[in-house]
Amino acid sequence: MADTPLVNLTIEGRQTSVPAGTTILEAAKTVGVLIPHYCYHPGLPIAGVCRMCLVDVEKAPKLAPACATYVAEGQVVTVHNAKARDARTGVLEMLLINHPLDCPICDQSGECELQDYTYAEGRADSRYREPKRFNPVEDFGGDVLYVPNRCILCTRCVRFMEDVAKEPTLNVSERGDRAYIGCFEGKDLTHPWSGNVVDLCPVGALLSKDFLNKARAWELDRTASVCPGCTQGCNTIVETRDNVVMRLKPRSNEDVNGYFMCDYGRTTYRALNRRDRIETPLVADNGGMESIGWELAIESAGNVLRGRKVFILASPSLSNEALHLLKRISAISDGGRGAFRVERGDEAPLAGVEDLALRAERAPNVRGAELMGFRESDSPLTELTRDAVLIVADHPLRANDITHAARAAAVIVIGTTLPEGLRNVAVALPIANMAEEEGTFTNLRGRVQRFLQAKVAPGESRPSWSVLADLLGALGESAQHYTASSVFAALAASHADFSGLTYDRLGLRGLPVLTAQQAAGAGGVA
Amino acid sequence: MGYPFKPHPRETLVLSKYFGEREAISLDGWQKRGGYVALKNALGMDPVAITNVVKESGLRGRGGAGFPTGLKWSFMKLGDGKPHYLCCNADESEPGTFKDREIMRWTPHALIEGCAIASYAIGAETCYIYIRGEFTEPLLRMEAAVTEAYAAGIIGPNAMGSGKTVNVWVHKGAGAYICGEETAMMNSIEGKRGNPRIKPPFPAVSGVFGMPTTINNVETLAAVPHILNNGAEWYKKMARPDNPKSTGTKLWSVCGNVARPGNYEVEMGFPFKDFLYDLCGGPPTGRKFKAVIPGGSSVPFMNMEEAEAAFMDYEGMVAQGTMLGSAGCIVFDDTQSIPKQVARLARFYAHESCAQCTQCREGTAWTTKIVERIVAGNGTSEDLDTLLDIAEQMTGKTICVLSDSCAAPVVSALQRFRGEFEALIKRKVQPAVPVVA
Amino acid sequence: MSHGPSAAGGAALKSSSHGHAVAPYKQVFVGETRDRLEELIKRYPTRQAVLLPALWMVQDANGWVSEEGMVETADVLGLTPAYVKGVVTFYTMYHQHPVGRYFIQVCTTTPCNVCGAEDVVNAFLKQTGCEELGVTSPDGKFTVIEVECLGACGFATPVMVNSEFLENVTPDRVPDIVGRLKRS
Repeated sequence: MADTPLVNLTIEGRQTSVPAGTTILEAAKTVGVLIPHYCYHPGLPIAGVCRMCLVDVEKAPKLAPACATYVAEGQVVTVHNAKARDARTGVLEMLLINHPLDCPICDQSGECELQDYTYAEGRADSRYREPKRFNPVEDFGGDVLYVPNRCILCTRCVRFMEDVAKEPTLNVSERGDRAYIGCFEGKDLTHPWSGNVVDLCPVGALLSKDFLNKARAWELDRTASVCPGCTQGCNTIVETRDNVVMRLKPRSNEDVNGYFMCDYGRTTYRALNRRDRIETPLVADNGGMESIGWELAIESAGNVLRGRKVFILASPSLSNEALHLLKRISAISDGGRGAFRVERGDEAPLAGVEDLALRAERAPNVRGAELMGFRESDSPLTELTRDAVLIVADHPLRANDITHAARAAAVIVIGTTLPEGLRNVAVALPIANMAEEEGTFTNLRGRVQRFLQAKVAPGESRPSWSVLADLLGALGESAQHYTASSVFAALAASHADFSGLTYDRLGLRGLPVLTAQQAAGAGGVA
Repeated sequence: MGYPFKPHPRETLVLSKYFGEREAISLDGWQKRGGYVALKNALGMDPVAITNVVKESGLRGRGGAGFPTGLKWSFMKLGDGKPHYLCCNADESEPGTFKDREIMRWTPHALIEGCAIASYAIGAETCYIYIRGEFTEPLLRMEAAVTEAYAAGIIGPNAMGSGKTVNVWVHKGAGAYICGEETAMMNSIEGKRGNPRIKPPFPAVSGVFGMPTTINNVETLAAVPHILNNGAEWYKKMARPDNPKSTGTKLWSVCGNVARPGNYEVEMGFPFKDFLYDLCGGPPTGRKFKAVIPGGSSVPFMNMEEAEAAFMDYEGMVAQGTMLGSAGCIVFDDTQSIPKQVARLARFYAHESCAQCTQCREGTAWTTKIVERIVAGNGTSEDLDTLLDIAEQMTGKTICVLSDSCAAPVVSALQRFRGEFEALIKRKVQPAVPVVA
Repeated sequence: MSHGPSAAGGAALKSSSHGHAVAPYKQVFVGETRDRLEELIKRYPTRQAVLLPALWMVQDANGWVSEEGMVETADVLGLTPAYVKGVVTFYTMYHQHPVGRYFIQVCTTTPCNVCGAEDVVNAFLKQTGCEELGVTSPDGKFTVIEVECLGACGFATPVMVNSEFLENVTPDRVPDIVGRLKRS
């Protein structure tokens, strides 16, 4: 790659140098020029069919499709002259002749590329006087609905299933203006990554049944995050309206998930909205749990823990920051231990993207938990002893866990919900879930990635790291943390794998932890 | 002139010499008529030498594009270690054209010989003859002839005892005009939808199965043995003195409102007026010619003034504002409604569009609907402006030229016969609705 | 699909079995047919390349290409049924539903159109008893459609009856043609 020659060209009067083999459309991005397009997508093979990206190349007899034309030395490309604009206006007019005036009832409205480009360069009226082509809505299976009337036949969905998912379950059927996207009855879109076609569709032809008619695109706030579904760590966008997560969408990251996320990951948004939360700190009182204020709650918890052996059941869905502080609690307790269980499911790779799969381990921070020194076990509470205080840190409990937990001297719950059937809970401290606080996860390849706060935690819940930092303070630790980044800095300072990492450096793309070798070289101890 | 009539004395019979002679169909019959001598010689020549002869002869693609054949062959890099392919385009679906079917059903071995020589010249061991699925008789004849040729060792692993491998296979199409476009044909052979590909890459670099490929028309390949037998000079002489760029003979498929429809073979540069009135017998009794489409429906209309001044070669037709194309010559007399036929042609293109490019997929259908509405008496004068705008959007902006081909008759008809459209709009004539229910 | 008015193709061929009783599906790629297919595959570097010939084998055996036919073909060639369906719906000669015993295609593109092809179509509709284009006659014997250029323009009007290619068909010849078919 280092030896690919560079090609110099001018696009819209701006000079740029790009590696040979780059398309004009990609080269334009390097000088901040967006060439309007539909069928092109950097994660899919080039089709060149929508004809929206036609640009004027000096000395060329015809307009050239920018997505399918490679740069040449000395090329002079114009995107915004009359000739190219006229061609785009023509394409837009043609796309709209059979397109229904569905904007008021179409989910895509507000994030529709047909709307956007038509608003910018399309006609204000239609010259079409004939009856429009009509086809009924189809259920493609899985989460996907197909509205043929709105389809512009860009074939992104077909190419995704064929070349990225490697399961050609979508086709173009028929010819000419009778063409539509089809599938084969009985063999429809149940591929674990098929939900991506909804994201890929530039218009409202492919829709998510789950999201159907739920919210308008312009009502949604968008926050960068990481999927909590498994250890792959796909980068996401959390879309919220009025403090409720409406959906998750993939955010591109070349090093993790390309442009995609799996269908299972998309469903994890529901858990982020659960209403059966603990909303105030609780303390045991006369057989029940009583609401109290935070100061008293922390004090009570501290009293329960001080000088006692601690056993921490730490969820692999907690952030690195929270797990680090939990580990500190375990470290300062005499004989402190910690373990976790991770639920597993079938792995589902996306064949066309390297190293991308829905991973068997269905939790986002298994690696983080391991790095912090927590052990994985299918029955993590077997070694819980009668003299230990059990901290259940947002970890789901099975029936036999509840049985083991009864053995503990006392139980402290630090979590989003109060597990049912759990007895001898001394104190319950409500925390935010991953959409309600910021933090980091470490994915299966050791990549540390930030997720940001997308909504407000309910009631008096506080960020997990904040609660744990206060608890550590009650147990005698001197460091006080008022921000998540401060916790992360402490983590990086004390843990060789994380050394040198900061939130700024992580940005929104993440960075890998040091390898064991690098860590040894840096003079740290794991 | 070809079967079923007797040749006209002013024709030059090379490819059509044996049209109508049942004996010429068999291997034996073809060999008796001098067949496979050129192949035998060619297999002993250096492939580059063969290409040079074809280059020198000035032979140009007879399927419609008119690209110099020898030059096309020279794009194939010999000795690159990759399997090369020859595809023979026998998908003949351009309205007005019916010459390749005659070559295949009367002289199938002529085509096999041409394919074999061309394959050898471009370094290909495999040739696929892509015949449209509707061509029942040509399919039968070509399959039978291929079987004969294999049995006689003319083609196969040791073609004519030369030690060289030449395989020729018939591949049947299934009803798609667009598969006559060379890149769409390659996709069709690969077992895909017949979608044209973006060029570059060109077939000689990455063609069928991703390998270097040359695609040639039936008539082009059928001319090759004659060129090798008689020499490039012989072929070059058949041209207008002032136009050496168009050489040899051309099969003209004449159809529509004319006294003697059929295939005629004339030298390049023949005067079109003589051709229409003398050779083809002029218009049907009691009628007059009104318009001609000389080169298959994808080339512009000519009015009779233009037609009668034209010379029948590539440059001659361009000089009159149209193209030679496939030389599928459709003639219209004064009883025909030009708008109705434009509607019918637009409907053809709309039916055949592969649906990839926006302008073609939507534009062909939209054009059809507007012109049909005009023909039915419900048009407006704005429609004519819209039609021209749509035609402009359909020209020079797509992966292949099907949309340009739909625009050509629309634009050229409006340029020359606008009055007929306006008469329908103003309801001055009875709407010419289709007779079929 | 495609219920709306469409620019091309007269009456849209409806995707039902048209009142035809559909026989249970019989495997096509077995025995001799399978051997023939495997022989054909040797001519190409990929199995997929014989998709069009394979679909012809299915149609020749069963009269049309049903969804079961597409599944069988897909299995034999290592493709998905959806992919095969995309190909089947592209090429107009593959019937996606049963048709009459005699499938009559009349060319009406411009060169034949100016020679009276539409009168030939009407003659066939009348003689066969078909009520409209694309709809099989009540006795199940005939389906008549308009077709695009058959490449025999100088022999107007060409008509295909199944794979039989007739040339120079004029309206006065139609009663004899249909009569012969009715008697066979």
